[in-house]
Amino acid sequence: MVQRYGDVAGGAEQHARELVRRLVPHFDVTVATTAARDYWTWENEFVPGETRVDGVPVMRFAVARPRGRDFKDRERRAFDETASLVDERAFIDSQGPVTPELLEYLSDSAATYAQILFFTYIYYPTVYGLPLAPERAVLVPTAHDEPALRLASYKPIFHAARAIAFNTEEERRLVHGRFGNARVPNDIVGVGVDVPADRSGPRFRAQHGITGPLFLYVGRVVESKGTDQLFSHWGGWVETRRALGAKLVVIGKAEMPIPQRDDVVHLGFVSEQEKYDALDAADAVIVPERYSSLSMVTLEAWACGKPVVCSAYCNVLRGMSRRSGGGLYYADHGEFSELLDLLVADPSLGKRLGAAGAAFVARTYTWPIVVEKYLDLFAEVRRRLH
Amino acid sequence: MSRLLLVVQRYGEEVVGGSEAHARAAAQRLAERHDVEVATTDALDYWTWAPHFPLGVAQDGAVTVRRFPVRAPRDPHFKEFEERVLLGRHTLQDELEWLTRQGPDCPQLLEFLHDVARSGEYDRVIFYTYIYLPTAQGLPIVPERAVLIPTAHRERALHLAPYRALFHLPRAIGYLTPEERDLVHEVLHNESVPSTVLGFALDAPPPSDAVAFRERHALHGPMVLYLGQVSEGKGINELLRCWDAYRAGDGVADATLVLAGTVRMELPERPDVRVLGPVSDEDKWAALTAADVLVQPSHLESLGISLLEAWQAETPALVPEWNAVTAGQVRRSGGGETYGSDADFTVKLAGLLLGTDHGARGKRWVERECSWPAFDERLEELLELAGVA
Repeated sequence: MVQRYGDVAGGAEQHARELVRRLVPHFDVTVATTAARDYWTWENEFVPGETRVDGVPVMRFAVARPRGRDFKDRERRAFDETASLVDERAFIDSQGPVTPELLEYLSDSAATYAQILFFTYIYYPTVYGLPLAPERAVLVPTAHDEPALRLASYKPIFHAARAIAFNTEEERRLVHGRFGNARVPNDIVGVGVDVPADRSGPRFRAQHGITGPLFLYVGRVVESKGTDQLFSHWGGWVETRRALGAKLVVIGKAEMPIPQRDDVVHLGFVSEQEKYDALDAADAVIVPERYSSLSMVTLEAWACGKPVVCSAYCNVLRGMSRRSGGGLYYADHGEFSELLDLLVADPSLGKRLGAAGAAFVARTYTWPIVVEKYLDLFAEVRRRLH
Repeated sequence: MSRLLLVVQRYGEEVVGGSEAHARAAAQRLAERHDVEVATTDALDYWTWAPHFPLGVAQDGAVTVRRFPVRAPRDPHFKEFEERVLLGRHTLQDELEWLTRQGPDCPQLLEFLHDVARSGEYDRVIFYTYIYLPTAQGLPIVPERAVLIPTAHRERALHLAPYRALFHLPRAIGYLTPEERDLVHEVLHNESVPSTVLGFALDAPPPSDAVAFRERHALHGPMVLYLGQVSEGKGINELLRCWDAYRAGDGVADATLVLAGTVRMELPERPDVRVLGPVSDEDKWAALTAADVLVQPSHLESLGISLLEAWQAETPALVPEWNAVTAGQVRRSGGGETYGSDADFTVKLAGLLLGTDHGARGKRWVERECSWPAFDERLEELLELAGVA
């Protein structure tokens, strides 16, 4: 059960699809989702009904109404500390996707499934769907520290789920701290990271004519991901290090203006091959976002043996960097500059960090390990059912 | 000493109802060791939910009671709607709507719980009776500090959508009988929630005059008593059939079946079946003491209080084996017999009327299991299971 599925953008949705592909050899899997492609409008862009994605049966249910026009107002009211239960409900309904038929299906058919995975805690289908089948529900919350997580309306799903699959240790600590639900069986599961063996930094550098230090950003270019601050930190650092010829390579869709300067190279969308070539070429990958449940690009950088430079304000990335020994974090412009100086001055530092990151990913975030953990959580569900 | 909040749909001395009486007893007993408040509605009647009690804060002994207004009385068409939801084709939406229409719809009580969740003012919130809206929608607001005392019976409502998650949410559950626990586990698969069986506590019965009772009603010979609502729903038609079978046998010519309680069905006029109608508390105890056997034919009897009272009066009980709760009580206490057919009823009743030690065994059991100190201990055990230090 996931709010959108198939060729859609979104971390949790990609996560769901990748996982389904890995579970198919072990289980008879059906995906229940909506006909929406866009998480903002929830417009029914896919045809409602049964279809297949990657050979897996998918049931798409129509979204009954688009995201509320009053959504921003509802959200503001629900997040106020004096919000009522009615305010909370209004927010969840306005946020959507409102899918009564999906709920009817869950209510009727839940018992025909051995276990039901609910992806992401925040949307309507999980809020109203999980309580219809708690005894067989495994929740993949993909929660991060955000105001919605404080709403009482989310308590039932975190307490009633039979098991919870967290992405990171930090997410688990956050959820347990907020909900006091440590009694619910759980594990740090996350996703597996596969990187191709064929990746060539020299090929990438030659293609783009880059010879000096190369720092890489991968992801949507948008304020909410911290790219505005990244550009200002970068500008400040690179101005005083002109002689290095350093470049910031930016891969991803621009949703805000990108500074027009010769030390910032924006490539937009690139092929998977080019992305991995870029990772191989990079001296470090910069991850400036402050809110994250799990950063795929961080795991991919580590899987490629590259160090990560991340924001100290992101609990998840700071914690993972510390535990893995694969990353460094900065709290302000001065620290950002120092980290880049260190990495440029001592290339062996980057290699050591990257190797530690690679070992961390191999320990936790590989598909065989992830699938095994899901099998264990499912066994927990079945044990309790009979 | 913990700060406890007890949530129940109705509360007060004049409220009639087994669950509500249990709730009030628990509140009063807990208040001897804890700081106890009650959050409830202003209703007295469970059918109309019409306003009765003054809103706001009141005191009931050591217990502070907060009453919130019921927004709307029960929908007059509720019965027809319910019949469709319970027995006919219906949707998930109908099941959710059924909960609201059943009521009591008391939004201020829910908002109060929402405030409580944020302030952390109470260490634990104890919810009484799973079926009504204040528990079904209130407990999910405070699962991290919730204790549920469901008083669930084998009924269709237990299978409805509003309750599927409810029994998974609390920190601990207090069942009234082992049979209730088994039923809930079977239907909802919530074995992982810690639970205990609370049972009941009973005051010692008042003195009563069985001889005067028999004289007043001209009852001679063996007396078989039924106590409670006299209706087909309570299995009285089956009881009368069993009674016929018994009377068709030998040597029981002067036995009388006494039906004491509000009559809600047609009854045959015959000398060996005496219909008393509703009786006073004093007469109830006199009847229990005078009776040779108490028979409780109900299929749905979920608490079995009348059995416990019969045993207090040292009277043995006869119950059908298909009622898990009362049959379980009889099995555990040794205070009576169960029957599996009309013929079996005849055999078992004849046996009990011969004079046995079943009544005495029932009395010993009820004195041990249903004492106030034993009840207090089980309440504390429940709080411990819920993580109260």
